[in-house]
Amino acid sequence: MSRVQGILQRRSWAFAFVLALILLVVNLIVSPSFLAPERLPATLATLAPFVLVGFASTPAILSGGIDISVGPLATLINCLFIAVLIPAGWGEWYVAVPILLLTSAAVGTVTGILVAVVRLHPVVASIGVFFVLVGIAVTISKQPVPAPPNWSEALAGSFGWFPAAAITMGGVALVWFVLRRTAFVSNLLATGESDISAYGSGVNVTLVRVLSYTLGGVFAGVGGIALSALLQSSQSSLATTYALLGIAAAVLGGANLGGGRGGLLGAFLGAVVIYLVQQLLTAAGVQPSLVQVTYGLVLVLGVLLGATLLNPRLTRSRA
Amino acid sequence: MSVAGSGLRLTGISKHFGATRALVDAELELRPGEVHTLLGENGSGKSTLVKIIGGVHRPDSGSLTMGATPLTLRSPRQAHRRGIAVVFQEVLTATSQSVLDNIWLGTDGVFVRRLARTAQRRIAADTLGRLIDGIDLDAPAGTLSLSERQAICIARALVRDPGTLVLDESTAALDVRTRDRLFAEIRRLTADGVGVLFISHRMDEVQEISDRVSVLRSGRTVSTVDRGDLSVDRLIADMTGTSGVIHGLDRDRPLGDPTLRADGVTLAAGAAPIDLTLRAGELVGLAGLEGHGQDAFLKRLAGVTAGPGAVTRVLSPDIGVRPGNGAKLGVAYLPRERRGESLFESMSIRDNFALPTLRQDRRGVLLSSGRMRKRFAEFVSALKIRLGTQDDPISSLSGGSQQKVVLARWLATDPKVLLLNDPTRGVDIMTKREIYTILDRLCADGMSIVLLSSEVEELVELVDRVLVFRDQSVFAEIPRESLTSEAVVAAYFGQRAGAVA
Repeated sequence: MSRVQGILQRRSWAFAFVLALILLVVNLIVSPSFLAPERLPATLATLAPFVLVGFASTPAILSGGIDISVGPLATLINCLFIAVLIPAGWGEWYVAVPILLLTSAAVGTVTGILVAVVRLHPVVASIGVFFVLVGIAVTISKQPVPAPPNWSEALAGSFGWFPAAAITMGGVALVWFVLRRTAFVSNLLATGESDISAYGSGVNVTLVRVLSYTLGGVFAGVGGIALSALLQSSQSSLATTYALLGIAAAVLGGANLGGGRGGLLGAFLGAVVIYLVQQLLTAAGVQPSLVQVTYGLVLVLGVLLGATLLNPRLTRSRA
Repeated sequence: MSVAGSGLRLTGISKHFGATRALVDAELELRPGEVHTLLGENGSGKSTLVKIIGGVHRPDSGSLTMGATPLTLRSPRQAHRRGIAVVFQEVLTATSQSVLDNIWLGTDGVFVRRLARTAQRRIAADTLGRLIDGIDLDAPAGTLSLSERQAICIARALVRDPGTLVLDESTAALDVRTRDRLFAEIRRLTADGVGVLFISHRMDEVQEISDRVSVLRSGRTVSTVDRGDLSVDRLIADMTGTSGVIHGLDRDRPLGDPTLRADGVTLAAGAAPIDLTLRAGELVGLAGLEGHGQDAFLKRLAGVTAGPGAVTRVLSPDIGVRPGNGAKLGVAYLPRERRGESLFESMSIRDNFALPTLRQDRRGVLLSSGRMRKRFAEFVSALKIRLGTQDDPISSLSGGSQQKVVLARWLATDPKVLLLNDPTRGVDIMTKREIYTILDRLCADGMSIVLLSSEVEELVELVDRVLVFRDQSVFAEIPRESLTSEAVVAAYFGQRAGAVA
């Protein structure tokens, strides 16, 4: 038992991994064709927006803050692309992608400045940004605008055997992987865990904090693209759902809301858990409103179990 | 690349925080290749001076120079750039990050590592290996002991290859073996021309390692002596600032029956157990340098925290003091932090007074504000609390008056034992005097009081005996007959009484 606990404690994502594995098996029992190769691209395309808002929530949480506005940012990017850029004739990928990612980086940076420089509480700052983004998204797309045929459809399909949704998720994962090999992630984790230690040791705490929100913004932008690929229409109404699912995914994946612990792998597994719960309940014919009840229960129980099993302090004091 | 050989000089440094003057015209010269020790009692300004050198605080006035160049340090980062590495008093590690990351924390840019990972690993292993053995560089820092984490903080300073090294009570958390290895390391660094500013509250260490010693008192540098002229008596006299023996007022108070008893209270593993019997009418002082156990002991007496050993309220029959039952047993505890632990800052003065004793104002299920008003008015005049109206917010009062309101709050519970955690901290002199008079009167009326104070003069003037804490146990108990500020400060630093003849 203590050996298992030891592994769980060293890898903050291990608990979400176990949970995802169990849910996967149950899913396969309920619908054996769940992992069939021909279904995989569609499955991953549905999964991608969950995973990406989970990724987008992670850097801010690691820095010791929180960014509630990444969900609305993803839907704003979705509306901006389909309801503004495509009608304006700027829908080509080499025009649209830079505009969308720069916009999302700028929004993330503004949130980061409000938190780290103006020193608003992260909840206050990101709720403020949340409402502004929701308002803009609704303004530019009151009703869902269907998209004409465009390049983003390919991201929900596959290239031969290769599921195209792996490009959006994989791209973000690659950025993170590269950043892990620089000093940035070490600085970020240290800042989130103990900002006085980091400051006293000479880390530029303010800049690291701002950049964590910028990075989350970019990830949310990619999430908006993945969302467009999946929906092929602008959906301003999804903002709130994604805002909370992103944070739920990160936390379920073992990110510590106090900062300093967690990573993208955890957020990925957390999002997978949420997605698998949704799949399972839908396949079992449970009505959609009850699916949300289950999200809530899974999150609370998951974090509770994770906290009791994983907290080194709790287990050490018993030893 | 080291910037050794230039020396650091601080001239006329002043710094205040609100109304508190932490440093007043302080001076310090750190020569290349010397170990310069800074000594002083609680609140003398040592840590503020260290934080100014480390770039955490900026002085209100005065100048820093390195060699011939003036220094303006706006952040710890700028201090590092000038070759100044500070190990702060608190053991600052990011506990879930690896030992390796903790050692190199802050040396890199936001993205770019200044050194390749393999080189970082090699240097970290080498540097840490000079202080402690057998540490896994990839283990989270939180899994290590306090001594090992302190070694990581020291290694963090050493890998920067500093020209100036500041160690603020860094030896306090180290085990003896690691400390000896640190001293060897310090000697090696000074031989290379590094200036080391050393702060410790252990006289044996000070005598062993120092080339020069400066004493700070109330934010001023009062003396700097060379190794050859070092004497413990002289240092203690400089710290207390008295040139003769000052006795408190003679007082002959008959003591009553025991009220509170501590049996075998142990504050840390391996620390000697503490026994104390408190009598009615007795005023016992607790003293010690910050963090040596006096605070923890007072909280044990109050039942705020639990631990090995027993605290008993002597009644018939006796009842053990546990978290939550203190007030019922007539044991009142006045916490140290007014802001965080005592006051409800957005509430009125009267509400702040009445909260724990609202039961007394009850009429049926409702509260009588008239009764509350009258009850508080008695305390306002008895304790001479200066206020506009009772309905004013508590924040409109001075620190001293706020403290009196808190005192009134607990006196209203009619306690038999009053436990005070540094009640006059940040209180003006006049109000302090008034509080002393109140305490004296309460004792004369048969109350037992335990007073933890960081002010030596206060203890000498007021208490019947002082327990001086050191390393989580009572180092000395000084009775009223031999109670002098020298005796207390000597005990702070582990010296036996009678340091000054």
